[in-house]
Amino acid sequence: MSTMKRIDRRKFLEITSSIAGTSVLAASMPWLSVFSESGLAPKGPSDRVRIGIIGVGSRGRALLLNLQTLTERLNFEIVAVCDNYVPHYERAIKLTNGKAEGFLDYRDMLKMDNLDGVVIATPLFEHAKQTIDALKAGINVYCEKAMARHLHDVKQMYDTQLETGKILMIGHQKQFNPIYIQGIEQIHNGNIGPLVMLKSGWHRNRDWIFYEVPGGRGSALDRQRNWRLYDEYSAGMISELGSHDFQAANWIMDSQPVSVMGTGSINFFHDGREVYDNFALIFNYPGDISMTYDCTTANKFNGQFFQVLGNEGTFDFQNNKVYSEEPPSPPAIRSMIHNIERNIFETIPIGGATWLPDAPVKYGGNYITEDYKMNDTQLALEAFVEYIRVGKVPDKLLKTCYQASIWTLLALEATKTGTVQTLPKEYII
Amino acid sequence: MGTRFHLILPDLDDDTAEFVFIKVQNEVNRIESKISRFLPDSEISLLNRTAFSKPVCVSTEVYEALKVCHHYFDLTQGAFNISIRPLLQFWANNTNNSEHLSDPADLLNKLNKKCINFDDANQTISFDNEHVEIDLGGFGKGYALGKIDTILDDYSIENAFISFGESSILTRGCQPGGDYWKIGVKDYKNPNQALHTFSINEGSVSTSSNFFVGDDGKLRNHRHVINPFTGYPVEDIITLSVSAESPVTAEILSTAFLVLPENEVRSITKNMKNVTAVKVNYSTGNYEAAIL
Repeated sequence: MSTMKRIDRRKFLEITSSIAGTSVLAASMPWLSVFSESGLAPKGPSDRVRIGIIGVGSRGRALLLNLQTLTERLNFEIVAVCDNYVPHYERAIKLTNGKAEGFLDYRDMLKMDNLDGVVIATPLFEHAKQTIDALKAGINVYCEKAMARHLHDVKQMYDTQLETGKILMIGHQKQFNPIYIQGIEQIHNGNIGPLVMLKSGWHRNRDWIFYEVPGGRGSALDRQRNWRLYDEYSAGMISELGSHDFQAANWIMDSQPVSVMGTGSINFFHDGREVYDNFALIFNYPGDISMTYDCTTANKFNGQFFQVLGNEGTFDFQNNKVYSEEPPSPPAIRSMIHNIERNIFETIPIGGATWLPDAPVKYGGNYITEDYKMNDTQLALEAFVEYIRVGKVPDKLLKTCYQASIWTLLALEATKTGTVQTLPKEYII
Repeated sequence: MGTRFHLILPDLDDDTAEFVFIKVQNEVNRIESKISRFLPDSEISLLNRTAFSKPVCVSTEVYEALKVCHHYFDLTQGAFNISIRPLLQFWANNTNNSEHLSDPADLLNKLNKKCINFDDANQTISFDNEHVEIDLGGFGKGYALGKIDTILDDYSIENAFISFGESSILTRGCQPGGDYWKIGVKDYKNPNQALHTFSINEGSVSTSSNFFVGDDGKLRNHRHVINPFTGYPVEDIITLSVSAESPVTAEILSTAFLVLPENEVRSITKNMKNVTAVKVNYSTGNYEAAIL
C-alpha cells in the first residue's frame, strides 16, 4: 500500500494546470483534465456521491482510510462496506463508526438504492465478476489492479464498460503521481532524446506472506487469506508488483509492447506456494526498444527501480531524479566562469584525467519534481469521485490499464511456456 | 574526441558566442571524422585496415598531420610514438597475474621505430608490418585547438579559454581582472590547491597523466600509458604538464615527456622557445612540481 503522506493539493493543481494547455496533456494524460475542469464540489445533500467498498482487507482498508480523508471536501459518503471474511467486515464497519452498512456478499450491496460507485479491492480472481455485475447494475467501478486473472475476463470487463457506459477505473495510481506526470511530460517533450531502453524491477527480502494461519500453506484458510500465493487466484508478483510498471512503461512508450519473453521459478521459498518467488521479463516495444523487469522476494539489494534510458539522459523515477548524459561542468570550469563573472584573478587548479573507468554515472542528478508530499492513491480516488460527478472519463485511462493487464497475463504465459508471447488478435482494442 | 569540450568567451554577447561556437563545433566534428580511430569511415581507420597491405592515398591534411607526428618522433627520440597502441591492447588482453603474461618484446621490436612510411610524390602512407595501428589520441586535441585558434582569429575574438577535458587547454588574450591567464597544475591529493601556476597570454597547456582518482580519493594507475622504450606500462603515478605557444606542441610533448627521464626532457626543452614542462610524481613521498 502507499504510505500516507500529507496531500498538498494546491501543488498538484499547479502541476496539472502547468501542462493543461499543452499537447502532451491531451495526448499522454487526458485523464488529468478533470482536476482543472472540476470546480468545488456542490455541497447539497442531493449532490452527495455514495460509495461502497468491496473487499476491506489490507489494500481495501487503506483505500477506505484514504477515502475518509476526502469525504467532506468532495461531498461524498461511504455508505457500504463488504467482505466475506468476518473480522475484516467487522473492522470496516467499526472504521466508519457504524455509518456504513455492512455486507458479507457483494451482490446484496449492489442492490442498494442510489449507490453511485464501488471500490473493489478483492483478490485478483474475483475482480471480473464483481466489476461486471456492478457495471451491469449501473454502478461506476474503481477496481484495484490488475484487472483479472484471465485474459478473457479482462476483455469482458472492458467490453462491459463500453456496453454500459459507466466509469471503470483501474487502480494504477502512477497515472496520478506527480513524479510520473512531470517526468513523462519531459520525456514526451524529448528532454532525454530518443529512448533506447527501459529498465525496471522490484527486489525485496520478505516471504510475501500476509497472514499466518492455522493449517499453514495449502489449507483452505491460507488459500483464502494468502490468495496471492496460489496460481488459481493470483498471477503472483507479476500482477501484484509488475503490472504497475508495465502500465507506466506503456504510458511512457505511448504504445503497448510487441512481444514479451521471460522466465520464472521458485528458488528460495519452497514452502508450498504456487507462484514464482523470482522472475525476469523482457518486453519489446515498437522501434526495437526493450524493457527489462526482474523481481525477487529473497534479496533486497536493488530495491525498487524504474529507469527510462534516453540517448541524452536517464529518468530514475523511483528516486525522483533525472540525469543528463552530459553532467554539469567540472568544478575547475565552474570556478573559472565564477571568477570571470566577478573579475577575480586567481589561479584555478585544473587537470582532467586522460582516461576514466567506464563506471556508472555518479553525479547527483536533478529532481524531476520538488516538494513531493502527495499521495497518488488519494489523487486517483479523488479523480474517481470527480469522474462520477461529471459522468465521464477519457477513454485512454481505461485503455492503458486494459493493455497493462493483458500484457501482465501474457508475461505470465511467457514464463510458464518459455515462448515469446504476442498479442492475440481477439484482445486488440 | 571522447571528452568534454568547454569554450569560454568572456566578452561576447550571447548571439555572437553562439554563432562562433557552432563554427567551432563543426570544425571539431570535421577533424574527428578524419582522424578518429573509433569512426570506421575516418582516414585513420582506413589506414589501420589497409596500409600494411598497400600504400594508401590520404588527404593533404591527414598526410601533413602524420608528418608532424613523425617530426616529433625524431625530436623526442621515439618517446612520442603514435603506433604503439597494439602494446596497450597486449596488456589489456593479459591478466595481472604474471604467470599468464608473455613478453611484449617481440611486439615492441615491430613498433618502437619509424614504421610508418611516407611517399611525398603520391601522398600515400604505408605501414612496415601488420602490427602497426595509428592512434592520434596524443595529438588530436592539440590539433583541434590549433584549428579553433584560427577560427577565433577570423572573428577577432581577443580573449578566450578553451578546454578539452581540462587536460588540453588553449588561451587567448587575458583573463578578465588580469593581464594573462592563470592555469594551475592541480594537486590531485588536495584538489583545491595548485602545485604550479602557468601564466599565459597566447598559448596552451596540456597535461598527461596515467591515473584516475578512485572513489576513496586514492590515485590509481590505470596502466593505459605504455613506455615505448620498454613496452611496459609506466608504473609511477605521474602528471606531466607542458605549456607552449602551439597547442600541438604542448599536447605532443606532455605525452612524450611522461615516459622520458627528466634529464632528457631538459635537453629537449632548453632548445625550444617558450616551452615549460612541469612534472609531478605522486609515487614519491613528498611530491612536488618539478620544472623541467
